[in-house]
Amino acid sequence: MSSIKIKSKNLNVYYGNKQALYDVNLDLNEKEVTALIGPSGCGKSTFIRCINRMNDVIDICKVTGNIEMDGVEINDKNLDVVSLRERVGMVFQKPNPFPKSIYDNISYGPKIHGKGETKSELDQIVENSLKKSALWEEVKDRLDEPGTSLSGGQQQRLCIARAISVNPEVILMDEPCSALDPIATAKIEELIDELKKTYTIVIVTHSMAQAVRVSQKTGFFHLGKLIEVGKTEKIFKNPDNKMTQDYITGRFG
Amino acid sequence: MSNEHTVKSYEEELQFLKDSLIKMGSLTESQLSDAMDAVIKVDKDSIDKIIKSDEEINKFRSRIDTQIMNLLVKRAPMAIDLRETISSLKISQDLERIGDLSKSNAKKVKPLPLDLPDELLGNLKRLGELVMKQLNDVLDSYVNKNFDKAKEVWEKDEQVDDLTYIAMESVIDFLSKDKKNLDFSTHLIFATKNLERAGDHITNIAETICYLVKGEYLKGRRPKGKVTQE
Repeated sequence: MSSIKIKSKNLNVYYGNKQALYDVNLDLNEKEVTALIGPSGCGKSTFIRCINRMNDVIDICKVTGNIEMDGVEINDKNLDVVSLRERVGMVFQKPNPFPKSIYDNISYGPKIHGKGETKSELDQIVENSLKKSALWEEVKDRLDEPGTSLSGGQQQRLCIARAISVNPEVILMDEPCSALDPIATAKIEELIDELKKTYTIVIVTHSMAQAVRVSQKTGFFHLGKLIEVGKTEKIFKNPDNKMTQDYITGRFG
Repeated sequence: MSNEHTVKSYEEELQFLKDSLIKMGSLTESQLSDAMDAVIKVDKDSIDKIIKSDEEINKFRSRIDTQIMNLLVKRAPMAIDLRETISSLKISQDLERIGDLSKSNAKKVKPLPLDLPDELLGNLKRLGELVMKQLNDVLDSYVNKNFDKAKEVWEKDEQVDDLTYIAMESVIDFLSKDKKNLDFSTHLIFATKNLERAGDHITNIAETICYLVKGEYLKGRRPKGKVTQE
């Protein structure tokens, strides 16, 4: 039984007058993949953005309730957000490498977080991160080329390498494969399988099949509420809630 | 929120699969009943027709296989749709086997003498009627997605076992009176056993329906009658 890494209790999020999350109680297990599914606008991305306080950048956003990592309140005003984001990395829908070299894309994070003081330490971090993201073999001879020169799938793995370069504990993935072809998607999924041995992963996805393939736990959101959460196998074979069943079987009107 | 799929053709494909299975079920029912009648009435004229209807059942089976493959590839069904698809695959296999057993029974009619005593056929007839009722009930429970009724069928197989035992006893008794009866008595024993096996396939179908409806397999051991207890 894995221990709980992230725990939300009665988490509510408002964007101005509009409430985006309603009393969400969701536990994310350590070194496991949790998939969040649900129609667009249901709150799944809003939920993961609470984990690294990305909602802070939206002025009208207000968060109430609790969300803890290792028992420590993430929403605490005194919490150092920079170090939180060092512990919680994020990968987005569209690959977004910095307009810099492949090498600099990876070394940037460790540098600003004060890791890898010497060139050889940084070299090591870059190599390890690229190896962990299964990109090393493809780019090791062209580290000084721009990150943007890579293919979409390679760029996404570069972004994953960038996320893990600062040695986080949690990786948030917001539809990481929606812009990728099936081969690139398969590579990312294989990578997720490998990464879950080291990191706690949360993935937002619109692909049911992907949720089944990569995750151990699945949560279904609808209109800001967590409707059902459980073992992935159970959710996709025999969900308890009718709404979950209607969504995953394509009966949503 | 409606219960229909957003994609209409998906809805139609699932409905078509269910319809095919229901048709296959009713064909299997008629064949089982015809084969039973043929044995009881020692009606040698109907043998060919029964063998032919088995070919029809087999065709249904392969058509259903194709429909299921297409559904899996095109729709990647989930939850209730996945259970519906997989259950159809399993049920069609069991129906096909029941068809084979009916065909086998029809073939047993050929060597039977026309003047078999009533008491010998009486028990076989009772067994046949019970198996028919079981098949009818299990197919009803499929159409109505009725968990309780499917479970009832599953439990009632115990009676099939008991009647099989009784029917076997009477054939053996008959055989022991005169060794000349050996040849066709053997056929009657096989026919009895075939009905018992058809009953087992019906319980498989009942189990599958229970899984289809609730998403969980039946727990515990099925009650067993005399014939399977040793």
